[in-house]
Amino acid sequence: MTTPSPTPAGPDPHPGFGPDLARRCYREMLTARRIDEEAIALQRQGVFPAYVSLRGQEAAQVAGAAALDAERDFAFPTYREMGVALALGVDMVGYMASHRALWHGGLYDPMASRFSSLNAVVGGPVPHAVGWAVGERLRGGTGCAMAYFGDGASSEGDIHEAMNFAAVYRAPVVFFCQNNRWALSVPNERQVAGGSVAARAQGYGMPGTAVDGNDAAAVHRATAQALERARAGQGPSLIEALTYRVEPHSTSDDTSRYRDAEEERAWRDRDPLTLLRARMEADGSGDAAFFEQAEQEARKRAEAVRDGVSTAPEPDGTDLFAHVFREPTEELARQQRVWYEEVRP
Amino acid sequence: MTETTERTFTLPDLGEGLVEATVLEWLAAPGDAIERNAPLVELETTKSAVEIPSPHGGTVARLHAAEGEVVQVGAPLVTFVVEVPAGEGGAGAQSGIVGRVPTEEEPPRRRVRLRPPEE
Amino acid sequence: MTGTMTEAAGAARGPAAGAVTREMSMQQAINAALRTVLEQDPDTLVFGEDVGALGGVFRVTDGLQRDFGAERVFDTPLAESAIVGMAVGLAMNGWRPIPELQFDGFAYPAVDQIVNQLARMHYRSRGAAPMPVTLRLPSFGGIQAPEHHGESLEALFAHVPGLKVCAPSDPQDAYRLLVQSVRCDDPVVYMEPKARYWERRPVDTAAGAGDMPVGRSRVLRPGRHATLVAWGAMVHRCLQAAEYAAEDGVELEVVDLRWLKPIDAEGLAASVSRTRRAVVVHEAPLTAGLGAEVGSLVTERAFGALAAPVERVAGFDVPYPAGPLEPQYLPTIDRILSAVQRTLEYERP
Repeated sequence: MTTPSPTPAGPDPHPGFGPDLARRCYREMLTARRIDEEAIALQRQGVFPAYVSLRGQEAAQVAGAAALDAERDFAFPTYREMGVALALGVDMVGYMASHRALWHGGLYDPMASRFSSLNAVVGGPVPHAVGWAVGERLRGGTGCAMAYFGDGASSEGDIHEAMNFAAVYRAPVVFFCQNNRWALSVPNERQVAGGSVAARAQGYGMPGTAVDGNDAAAVHRATAQALERARAGQGPSLIEALTYRVEPHSTSDDTSRYRDAEEERAWRDRDPLTLLRARMEADGSGDAAFFEQAEQEARKRAEAVRDGVSTAPEPDGTDLFAHVFREPTEELARQQRVWYEEVRP
Repeated sequence: MTETTERTFTLPDLGEGLVEATVLEWLAAPGDAIERNAPLVELETTKSAVEIPSPHGGTVARLHAAEGEVVQVGAPLVTFVVEVPAGEGGAGAQSGIVGRVPTEEEPPRRRVRLRPPEE
Repeated sequence: MTGTMTEAAGAARGPAAGAVTREMSMQQAINAALRTVLEQDPDTLVFGEDVGALGGVFRVTDGLQRDFGAERVFDTPLAESAIVGMAVGLAMNGWRPIPELQFDGFAYPAVDQIVNQLARMHYRSRGAAPMPVTLRLPSFGGIQAPEHHGESLEALFAHVPGLKVCAPSDPQDAYRLLVQSVRCDDPVVYMEPKARYWERRPVDTAAGAGDMPVGRSRVLRPGRHATLVAWGAMVHRCLQAAEYAAEDGVELEVVDLRWLKPIDAEGLAASVSRTRRAVVVHEAPLTAGLGAEVGSLVTERAFGALAAPVERVAGFDVPYPAGPLEPQYLPTIDRILSAVQRTLEYERP
């Protein structure tokens, strides 16, 4: 059984994590939490066929993404990065539309959002981040790519290929691993040989840092440093945010078959929102009025996202054909005519 | 202006392809006022036991299954009386909740007609 | 007649203004095409294993790094999945990538990125993410190569929604198809017939696609008794077979399909409507090969004209064999002629 490491005593002296940033992170982490709760309810109410909760990973996602520059950087998510989407300002109804199975990649614009279409092949988007970053460097841009993956995906060959490529090309990439300790039903001990994803960075000649993924300030600091390094032309870095997936892998999962409820409870007690709130109360960056207002705003936003995604129109059948090619083929046009004449509702 | 109308909640597919669930315990009774997302019922599927949050805020009107009873996906579970903006009541509306299992299934319409080959 | 053109008809219009015709091999013609797109489009990038200083194992990229710099023509580490994945990311950042996978058999490690990512990113993003990638893939057998160095993956890629697939059969068309593939805004798998790399022919490097848009086939030899349909290196073999047939008084039409997705169904139907018989020839194994698709298209579009069932001459349903057995695996002239004879003799029951 894995148990959480002890909560660091007192506020972290991270100078870059000032009151404004702490308040922003808290508000967005709380909003992600409330949207997540609404999403789980929507699945049980039959609106979502399935959902994957990010509960417990809000600090790793929001505080890390808060270090990104939404004007020039680009994030490559898998399918559990709802908090990253929120922090980058992605249209959340469009994002959650993926979980309602309206469109696999969601209904938001990934290019305008600087947040690639969510992707169910774990590890698959990581080489895209490297390519994007190589391209950014080639055209003289100053943007960085952020590649998201988990402890399970760290076993995928694409992750290793991508890290090697990024290091060979000194590409401005931050490899951001959220190690939530369970790859569906398999724990770290049977997933990650050597016990550390961060340690693998050494083999690629890049910095690898393991941070407390439930500590927003620590996550932000590590990410900001990695981005600064990448932007300065010093190449990629690997961050391993140690966190925990307190909910099941997905709403179709049953954790009682593979892990101890006591372990889940212990990690629920190390909730990243509770930790951040305690820190802010201690250093005075958040008072009771702030937390009350944050709660009201988060609920309101979550309800608006819930209602928006629940009532979003289903895509028209013409969308089946609309985006296969930029230069459509006659054969696909013929098949669309078949659809029009024989299938169209 | 608001009016009241009935909304029936049918058992959704709770786990990617499940066909039924057993009612373990009702957490609300007819006549109870209930808020959206408040605990409504605990169900057991072949995968796990889950607590269903109420899909509506309003009053519980009728329960369609007793504790211990097996309910098929798509079958009515509970009926609420809810307040809606005037003019948005009406039978059959599902309050924006779009489940995977239709409550009433229309037979597929036939449009293609076949002709036997000419001899 | 729609859907096809003859080389003779093209030649009758005379060379285009500014035409630069010189004799070159297919491998040089592809090199010339890469030079053309690198010169004309500053967004193009050429990369892959050993494409830089070495110039590629077939010298297709010879001199490109020297002439266009190591930023636009560069070597990658050995990882086919990351090569294709990198192309996806480069395309999302506004580039027009032209990655090379060194040999067809090494495309298999990249199939996840090709099928799940390259082919779908534009669709997944509802048209937001551009994906103008040309994946160069030295392909097919005929050079008695080691295992995994001679494979025919066209049916696999043609089956994937979101990909276009082409295979040239001679130097001129290799030049034309590559320029066309790179300028296409969709992902194209460009399959180079290794067995035809070295034959020299005149190539006009000023020739555009002209009236041969994406998906158009061409009639390389007109004939009236049966149509041979092929692509890549098998086109040459079909032309040889047609020569032999002519000695016996049988006139075979040879259609070079060129594009394997989209397939020129109208061009196929037009040819078979004239000849009333069709034999499709490919190197890939028979079962579920692209010959089945060709046969089905011909049957759907020219059923009334057919005097015999469409015949398929293909590789056997065995792994590509080692050198000495390869000539017995690949479609031979005799197998092609036997299939033609069966279509000529066919009587309806």
